[in-house]
Amino acid sequence: MRRGLVSIQMAAIVAFALSPIFTHAQVDDSARLKGSAVEYLFPEQVTVPASKATDVTLHFRVAAGYHINSHTPREEFLIPTTFSIPDGAGVRLDKAVYPAGTDFTLPLDPTNKLSVYNNEFTIQARIVADAGSHLVEGKLHFQACDKSVCLPPKTIPVAFNVTGK
Amino acid sequence: MKRNTLVLTAVLFILSTFAWAGWANYEYRKQAADRMLASVAQGELVLDPESGTAQYLSPLKGKPAPPFVLEDLNGKKVSLASYKGKAVLINFWATWCAPCKIETPWIIELRKQYASQGFEVIGISADDLNRDDPKELAKDKMEIAQSAQKLHIDYPVLIDGATLDKPYGGLDELPTSFFVNRKGLVVAAQLGLTSKDDIESNIKKALGN
Repeated sequence: MRRGLVSIQMAAIVAFALSPIFTHAQVDDSARLKGSAVEYLFPEQVTVPASKATDVTLHFRVAAGYHINSHTPREEFLIPTTFSIPDGAGVRLDKAVYPAGTDFTLPLDPTNKLSVYNNEFTIQARIVADAGSHLVEGKLHFQACDKSVCLPPKTIPVAFNVTGK
Repeated sequence: MKRNTLVLTAVLFILSTFAWAGWANYEYRKQAADRMLASVAQGELVLDPESGTAQYLSPLKGKPAPPFVLEDLNGKKVSLASYKGKAVLINFWATWCAPCKIETPWIIELRKQYASQGFEVIGISADDLNRDDPKELAKDKMEIAQSAQKLHIDYPVLIDGATLDKPYGGLDELPTSFFVNRKGLVVAAQLGLTSKDDIESNIKKALGN
């Protein structure tokens, strides 16, 4: 019996001594977080007629100094900005209308005009919602650059509540 | 019997505690190693007081270029080690990178100009590859090949550059270039589009001119 108690005590000591390692591994996350070049602004919630196509204007902001390709970039291989809503959310994306891009030229290539979005821009999403309340987790896919560097393509969440009445 | 059960339970508890502690320790060391590796290679942009321009300070400068073996567009394995004795420009680019397309013609010209002195260029595409789907993978490779052809790239283009993200310091901004001398040491690094003169100046450093 005594040997059993000693074993239990040893186990408790070992567990206590090692517990800081695990806690440290969980909380110490020094991975560098870089903000997204594009931020979804609003709306956070909309009310629309159920089962009827309705336009919702989604507002976005591009970080200062950066631009993203428009939905219709002029050059081959450049990645267009696209908005999507995954299936099964109770809300269907019927159509997305994108703004025309703004002309932008890189200082070292002034003859080549890129079609981009910068500052704030909107996307007109025509949605059809089932009756009830739905959390839409849309996605904006884009690729951002500044005047000299480009960041890898990225997808950010575009979350808003839709109530179909 | 009761005592034996108690002892057995205690022993099992101890063993599971050790297993758990070992796993936790492994995870912790793995994370620490990843962090260290990332911090070792991560460069930063600083303002050069003389020129007034931003300079890329890579911690790889003065150190051996991290070794790699990657596939080229034909599926052939190419290693950095096979360039031993040459001055090499390792240029990370992507099909979607507009500034990369501006500097590529400069790099092509400079390669021709300095090839006779033992200078070579390795282009490494950082485009994502869909390795789970053979059709998508073939499409990804074709797009890189088409883009390289359109840019008239005549030096080797390797794919899957994203796998070199950690040893070469993030690569979350393109274009990024590393200039390696004949001894295999990184003598200069460039982040972003600068100028043909800057690239040439760094090539000369790599050649030891």
